[in-house]
Amino acid sequence: MLVLRLAWRNAWRSPRRTGIVVTAVAVGIAGTLLSMAVNFGMLFQMVDTAISTDLGHLQLHAAGFDADPGLEVRLRDGGRASLAVLETSPDVRSFARRVRGEGLLSSPRSRAGVRVVGVEPEREAEITLVARSVTAGRYLDGEPRRVLIGEALAERLEVGVGDKVVLSAQNLEGDLTGEALRVAGLFRTPSQPLDRGTVFLTLEQSQRLLGLGEAVSEVVVVAESRARIADVDALLEQRLPDLEVRTWEELEPLLVYMVDVFDQSALLVYAAIFIAMAFGIANVLLMTVFERTREIGIMRAMGLGRARLVATIVSESLIVTLGGVALGFLCALLGVWALRDGIDLSLFTDGLRELGVGDRIVPVLRQSDFTAPLAVAVTTAVLASAWPAWRAVRQRPADAVRHT
Amino acid sequence: MPIEWRMAWRNVWRNPRRTGLTIAAAVFAVVLVIFSVALAAGSHEKMIEDSVRVNAGHIQVTGRDYLEKRTLEQYVSWSSDIESALGDTEGVEGVAPRVVSFGLLSRGPATRGVAVLGVDPVREGSVTTLLSRVQEGAFLSPRGSHEIVLGERLARILSAGIGDEVLLYSIAYSLETAYDLFRVVGIVKLPHVDMDRSLSLVSLADAQAFFVYGDRVSEVAIRTADSDAVPAVMASLGRSLDGEDVEIHAWWDTMPELEQFIVLDDAGMYILLAILVIVVGFGILNTILMAVLERKRELGVMLALGLRPWSIFRIVYLESLLLAVVGLSIGLALGLPLVLWFEANPILLAGESAEAMALFGFEPQLTWRLEPLNPIGSIVTILIVAAAAALYPALRASRARPADALRSV
Repeated sequence: MLVLRLAWRNAWRSPRRTGIVVTAVAVGIAGTLLSMAVNFGMLFQMVDTAISTDLGHLQLHAAGFDADPGLEVRLRDGGRASLAVLETSPDVRSFARRVRGEGLLSSPRSRAGVRVVGVEPEREAEITLVARSVTAGRYLDGEPRRVLIGEALAERLEVGVGDKVVLSAQNLEGDLTGEALRVAGLFRTPSQPLDRGTVFLTLEQSQRLLGLGEAVSEVVVVAESRARIADVDALLEQRLPDLEVRTWEELEPLLVYMVDVFDQSALLVYAAIFIAMAFGIANVLLMTVFERTREIGIMRAMGLGRARLVATIVSESLIVTLGGVALGFLCALLGVWALRDGIDLSLFTDGLRELGVGDRIVPVLRQSDFTAPLAVAVTTAVLASAWPAWRAVRQRPADAVRHT
Repeated sequence: MPIEWRMAWRNVWRNPRRTGLTIAAAVFAVVLVIFSVALAAGSHEKMIEDSVRVNAGHIQVTGRDYLEKRTLEQYVSWSSDIESALGDTEGVEGVAPRVVSFGLLSRGPATRGVAVLGVDPVREGSVTTLLSRVQEGAFLSPRGSHEIVLGERLARILSAGIGDEVLLYSIAYSLETAYDLFRVVGIVKLPHVDMDRSLSLVSLADAQAFFVYGDRVSEVAIRTADSDAVPAVMASLGRSLDGEDVEIHAWWDTMPELEQFIVLDDAGMYILLAILVIVVGFGILNTILMAVLERKRELGVMLALGLRPWSIFRIVYLESLLLAVVGLSIGLALGLPLVLWFEANPILLAGESAEAMALFGFEPQLTWRLEPLNPIGSIVTILIVAAAAALYPALRASRARPADALRSV
């Protein structure tokens, strides 16, 4: 206790000097945390976009789909075996069946290559935000021969709601088929590729077009929460051994890898900033040790052991550093709170839509974001106090007392 | 040497330990700034070069609205006039006209949606590296017809080997259906997984015939010496194509996602470097402030002897700038050779990070590039920070009242 009291008093002996170090640490921490928060906010938005426009939490396919997602790799029973499992699992919130194929969409004025997705309209609305992203016309509502396309695709083909388009494709047998459809509605999502080149039909319509009969390409699943995905994954792997069960992380490894890279680079950034801080901290400690040469000598002469002297100096370093860290955390949290409505990125937004980032970035701080700077700060504080502590211990009490 | 300089220099070394630590912090910051800025510049340049050489080209000449719509309706009428206008423009090192469309490609029961790129077998090599990416067989022959080259994964998916016939189906410029048989002559390996799975190449003449496209082309890809030359070449292209119904786009228009990635990456880096430099600035502030407070009495004597406050201000200010200059000199002496060495010796990545870069379609390599602006920017930044840090201590020192200062110990 004595050690801590001494350290505390010493730390505030020169409030201005200590204040500057605390401010430096706080600025470093808050700035870094905030820029990390923006980075992660962007990254999580990319993940959210991928999950909410297409991936869902998990997908079930017939074996071989991962390597080559073709029409012939299909669930011949229409996904019935998996539906039975999914309906009874408490961790599953919703699921829907889909058909995936490729086709050519032509209007009276132009044509484009498209990904064809057949959906169960009502179920799909619980999985992705496409149903909520309709900006003109209507979502697929059961009327036959309707197709839902992105605003960007409509622009490319120069068509609008109610216009006639022809969707041609090669069916399962390898024959060319075509179907005249009307544009039911247009959608606009944060995902540019989806808006530019994906068309949605009803499941039945797509099965007929592609000659699939009852078969579907995939079953997409949303778990009750992201934390439950692993449980659902394990259950499905065990109950449906013949199928390929993939989580969104396995379907989009790039996003997962980017989160990893950001985490690792965060650590490097903290290391760099704290090395720069270490010089400042060591400087202040060294000054306090020199100023107190006589005082330290007297304390030593009166029986303060070397270990306790070192402990005093290390504690002083920790107090100053952790004070700065705490202040930095506070500022970062305030910053994130102040930006809770997101940062407007409309300047970049077209390019970022290509990456699946919406118009606004909301900074995100996770609990784990605080551990790295804390660990680096404590290490720095201890290392920075090494030299001053060594200087203090090395002085002979007899000389030190004589020092003025 | 004027007296103020001498005094400032001596004051700097009054407490060598303290000064040494502060200079060390400045050196660390300078080296790190130079190093990271050079790494970013090198990596971004490499990303740009990789991307433009795979497909896009540094510059593209296209029809109106092509980038937004990318259908056959947006075209350039390819004439000998345009061809010679492009070829004669200074800075243009390669010109490759192309037809870009899509189709369904099938062999037996397997069908895939593919991008169809009609290229001039001879001129394509002057812009992109497609020719050298042939893994099996050969590239399209200059005089051949109904030849097709497939991405490696696409060929595997269709189980198509060299000599096999594939059926291409699409919708022509005339909006009539078009289909024809093509013979696989080569297989190319493309860095981007998506491209490798979906790209097919036919000759420009075949593509124009297949899509009933006449002498039209979708885009003309142009190579320049490097990405720095792009703005100048774009300006001269603007002059030589004056009057033609075309648009001229740089790589940042044709690949906006790459440009945005680079802008974001740079922004993140500069913010973090700014924080680093600010932290070092606080270190300088503390050092100078301590030095001033220690010399309260001395400064008081100097003021009492008739030295102007302005001179005191200058002495303290010079101290800070001298600190910064010493830190900068050592930092540059260490940082520049380091970066130059890495510039000559790029690092090849392996393992997980290499695979991830491959997923993005980039070569797994870390490259550095020292641009003149990098050390100049570092020097200016550190000097500004040192100047800002000295402001408060210098003001305090020059405002001291001699009577009070003399009484303090």
